Amino acid sequence: MRVLVAEDETLIRVDLCQLLETAGHDVCAQAKDGAEAVELARSLRPDLAVLDVKMPRLDGIEAARRILDERPIPVVVVSAYTERSLVDRAVESGVFGYLAKPFREEDLVPALATAVARFEELAAVRDQVESLGEALAARKAIERAKGILMERERLSEQAAFARLRTASQVSGKPMRVIAEAVIAALAPAG
Amino acid sequence: MRTEPLQVLIAEDETIIRLDLRGLLERQGLRVCGEARTGAEAVELARTLEPDVAILDLRMPELDGVEAARRIYGERPLPIVMLTAYADRHSIERAVEAGVFTYLVKPFRETDVGPAVRAAHARHEELLAARRQVGEQPLRPVVVGLRSSSGAAWPALRIGRDGVTVVEEAD
Repeated sequence: MRVLVAEDETLIRVDLCQLLETAGHDVCAQAKDGAEAVELARSLRPDLAVLDVKMPRLDGIEAARRILDERPIPVVVVSAYTERSLVDRAVESGVFGYLAKPFREEDLVPALATAVARFEELAAVRDQVESLGEALAARKAIERAKGILMERERLSEQAAFARLRTASQVSGKPMRVIAEAVIAALAPAG
Repeated sequence: MRTEPLQVLIAEDETIIRLDLRGLLERQGLRVCGEARTGAEAVELARTLEPDVAILDLRMPELDGVEAARRIYGERPLPIVMLTAYADRHSIERAVEAGVFTYLVKPFRETDVGPAVRAAHARHEELLAARRQVGEQPLRPVVVGLRSSSGAAWPALRIGRDGVTVVEEAD
């Protein structure tokens, strides 16, 4: 796993990176504050992020929120502070783990393994939600485009559908794209 | 949707650790709704008490924590936190496969427990919400064969992740 590490204290950062490398991870990016973490997550596209909570410029929780907004990855935050308000903020931002400092190798390793596994599970279900949503939208668009063609061109249902299909085959574009084009061009106003 | 305090089931065969865990969870604003001494008892209590979260020791008599986790999750999905003194690769892999949400490695501190439980619960809620959405979708990615009113076969539409494509007539 390619890991982004964000920690403002150099000694702890070096330690953390070493620990991750020992556990078989590849530390692909090291940030010294939250803003840098967001930038590095964007440019290097790590598989996983370990972020300290208290950092200059942007704290780890806000950095997690921005990273997750742009491109969701499993995020685990680490902090010497575990008061409820901080934990709640972190949890709401979408992090998969919150480790209290100082932590041991045996705390970090399973926390990352479970974070990655459960993140992937969630991502897979969300992909499904998205693809189902798209499929439903496609079907609606095709039905509507078909109706428009039937009305405007006085076609049978079958002929209207055949036109959409032919357009899709000739253009190499999905039926949904064709259907949406038909709707955009021919739909009655309002 | 969110019920506070979270109801936690704990399963740990060592009495001292179990008592310790209870006190520590309650100081973290969580409520211990049940205590099990074996994996089998944990499965039983998860069924009857319907906790929000279960914390299971890995090594327990009758049924180990991973197997108990698998059965509990199979009956009613809930976030499971694995408690263990052994965080070796093999047991981590087994726990991950069983759907375990996070780990607490003994000896643990009060500050380890609250955040772990809350993060697991929140992410698990998201997972359940996403699963519900999939269940509620009226359309699954399938091949839809359309028929005209006269009953003539139409080419089928394959509606899936990659959009809608026309597949050759099936019949």
